[in-house]
Amino acid sequence: MAETIVHTVRGELHGSHAHHPELSFFRKYIWSEDHKTIALQYLFTTMFFLLVGGLLAMGVRFQLAFPGAPVPLIGTLLPSWLVTSAGAIQPGGYNGLVTMHATAMVFLVIMPFLIGVFGNYLIPLQIGAPDMAFPFFNALSYWLFFLSGIVLLSSFFVPAGFPASGWTSYAPLSAHAQYNGTQAGQSLWCVGLFINGLASIAGATNYITTVINMRAPGMKMFRLPLPVWALFITAILLLLAVPVLSAAAAMLFCDLNFGTSFFSASNYGQPLLWQHLFWFFGHPEVYIMILPAMGIASEILAVNSRKPIFGYKAMVYALVSIGVLGFIVWGHHMFVSGMNILLSATFSFSTMVIAVPSAIKTFNWMGTVWGGSIRYTTPMCFALAFVSMFVIGGLSGIFMAATPVDLFIHHTYFIVAHIHYVLFGGSLFAVFGAIYFWFPKMFGRMMNETWGKIHFALAFIFFNCTFFPMHNLGLNGMMRRIADPPLYDHLRSSQPINIFVSVSAFCLGLSTIPFLINFFYSIFKGPKAPKNPWESTTLEWTVPSPPGHGNFETTPTVYHGPYEYSVPGMDKDYLPQNEPAPEKARIAVH
Amino acid sequence: MTQFLSRKSGSIALLVIVFVACGVPAYAAQRTSGLWWMPDVASKGGEQIDQLTYFIYYLTGAVFVLTQVVYIYFLIKYRAKRGVRATYSHGDNRLELVWTAIPTAIFIGLWGYSNHMWWDVIHKEPPPGTMEVAVNAYQFGFSFQYPGASGKLGRSDVKLLSPENVFGNDRTDPLTKEDFQSGVLELPVNRGVRILLTSRDVIHGFYIPQFRIYQDAVPGRTIDWVWFVPTKVGSYDLACSQLCGSGHYNMKAQIQVVSEEEFDNWYKQKLAAAGNASAANAPAQSK
Repeated sequence: MAETIVHTVRGELHGSHAHHPELSFFRKYIWSEDHKTIALQYLFTTMFFLLVGGLLAMGVRFQLAFPGAPVPLIGTLLPSWLVTSAGAIQPGGYNGLVTMHATAMVFLVIMPFLIGVFGNYLIPLQIGAPDMAFPFFNALSYWLFFLSGIVLLSSFFVPAGFPASGWTSYAPLSAHAQYNGTQAGQSLWCVGLFINGLASIAGATNYITTVINMRAPGMKMFRLPLPVWALFITAILLLLAVPVLSAAAAMLFCDLNFGTSFFSASNYGQPLLWQHLFWFFGHPEVYIMILPAMGIASEILAVNSRKPIFGYKAMVYALVSIGVLGFIVWGHHMFVSGMNILLSATFSFSTMVIAVPSAIKTFNWMGTVWGGSIRYTTPMCFALAFVSMFVIGGLSGIFMAATPVDLFIHHTYFIVAHIHYVLFGGSLFAVFGAIYFWFPKMFGRMMNETWGKIHFALAFIFFNCTFFPMHNLGLNGMMRRIADPPLYDHLRSSQPINIFVSVSAFCLGLSTIPFLINFFYSIFKGPKAPKNPWESTTLEWTVPSPPGHGNFETTPTVYHGPYEYSVPGMDKDYLPQNEPAPEKARIAVH
Repeated sequence: MTQFLSRKSGSIALLVIVFVACGVPAYAAQRTSGLWWMPDVASKGGEQIDQLTYFIYYLTGAVFVLTQVVYIYFLIKYRAKRGVRATYSHGDNRLELVWTAIPTAIFIGLWGYSNHMWWDVIHKEPPPGTMEVAVNAYQFGFSFQYPGASGKLGRSDVKLLSPENVFGNDRTDPLTKEDFQSGVLELPVNRGVRILLTSRDVIHGFYIPQFRIYQDAVPGRTIDWVWFVPTKVGSYDLACSQLCGSGHYNMKAQIQVVSEEEFDNWYKQKLAAAGNASAANAPAQSK
């Protein structure tokens, strides 16, 4: 089948009905098996979930700044598990908001954005393949993901509402309705994550197989663009880590509904077992959510610096070592959990070691812009900011890795600041950059640069105003997941910071509006995009924008690595992977 | 390529503004009033931990400033200019080696330092004269059990824990009869306290920011390795910092650190009250 697709030309698609009859609307847009359509399905769905997760965050921030004040406009319309009759958020409902904000952002936004959207879109196009190895599986993966989103969010409508034991759902709180009071919501959480896990496993299998088997001739592993490398390693992590979460979610579901006691202290259950299972998944998950972002940022940095990526192989080895080490650091979430304290020393050590490849990557990004000819496009601004924000998130992580300091700042806003610097300033900034960067390829039109820059500036400023002061809140001893900080003596003085953070967060939420308008306007009215608007070297830019079904007219042949920019002796400053180097070009062997 | 040059100065100005804007909250963090910074430390271990916190703070701060200064310098210096091509370089293995080796050395050194302190603050035997207090967490509060005149808590076991016997006391141990309970954690200043931490229902946190101490209370276990020495007289909040349900936001208890004398008075009073109560109960039980 792959053979027939390879020889399809987009221009001829409409004419060649004999080979490719026009697909029905259902097959073209709903149950599509084309990786590009599936990527776009993921994109639109994930943007919707991003708005939902963002609104939940606004609810959280409103409560923290103005505890007890009725929610403006919609307060009285909200269900009774969430608000009092006066429309103010109540503590139990607040826990639900926190839980669903994090669950949605992790499982319905960041993961599918990076892996579902860009994994699907980029892997076949960048390796020179006509599609994924298992197109049916790919479509199935999307619809399972969609279903999991519906299941998770439907808990809004059940009695007692959202699950309220945090996205980490520590047992026994999560395992007994008498403790959490949200049996239906918590059960839906388990089912939703189980389905979400199936989607991830289906996707991961597909990505791994595709990268191993379907590379174009000449596309050696060390000629893969870095996003593909990152997504490949990520897919392996997914395949090994997600089944553990699925199993744990199934066990938790049984504890909740069938009276088993895997995780309860009575009947020989073990509360810490949940934490070990969860974090055995949860820490590779952290890297699942950042590695693809690193790959994307590397790509954008190299293209817009007009330079080869600095230390390509070092970058690949760093990705691989993060992938391996990522499986032996989970215990650093549990220094104060009651786990054997000798283990803490071990996990502290592995955690310090895993910081090394991250440092290597940072230095290589700086090496990439060094000596470049930097084009300040919108995607570049996001990629540059990604590096700085990742540095802040990485450095703040060192505080937690030092076990004694963790005694003080564990479960405070310091960790909230840390995770948002990595996941928002890191992953989400990379996602924004990637959308601006690959939008021309996806939709055949350009996004508006000026509005892109405005979006970037607003997002960058308000992001820092929102999350940087959270470090201070954490150092001041503000615990996570408390609905009413001024109830505590030591937190009363820092309440003005909470108000500042919340106002910044509202502005950060509003900063998405220029992006959304730009995005939807450009789909229909943006200027037509050329094949290769950024003068890039990777294979996706050698086909029309958007590429036709089957991607490549003829299977491309790859002659060299992905980042041959500014090669001496050439007129143009980029050498696409499928073009043999001209004789006078002096390509370096590296 | 020209389209990327057209508005370059505007873009650079924007980027600079944006990075300066990032500096404002960073500067704010330098302020060390109570609003911005750690609450005053009030325990011995906490003082040590603060040294490490400051060490990491200055280390990471220096790394941050250094890398960002170099980075921003690059971003300004190497902006696209007409007729200037980027340097063609795939990297430098010696540099890779340098920036692999140096961070590795720093991180391992840091691990050594922090692990040494972890040993010192947590593993070391508490000082002589350390008092034991049992702490039991529940949805949504804490209760405390003090040893009787013997100075030793009676035997207890989490397996005996029940709604009537929240500390899981072993009633056959004569020492148990002397133990008394309190709703406030009253502590003498400058004397070691070791806590025996249990939970009745779900996981709770035992968090005292001024003491720089945090430990989860896990149902089904007694966690017996946490000890600290309060160094300042005062009233503090003991906060639960592990999400434990709808009342979590307000789950706390009062800690009173008082002078040795005051503590002895309080202790004697409590002990006498407990003695009277058990004396009153005893005949009733024998009937």
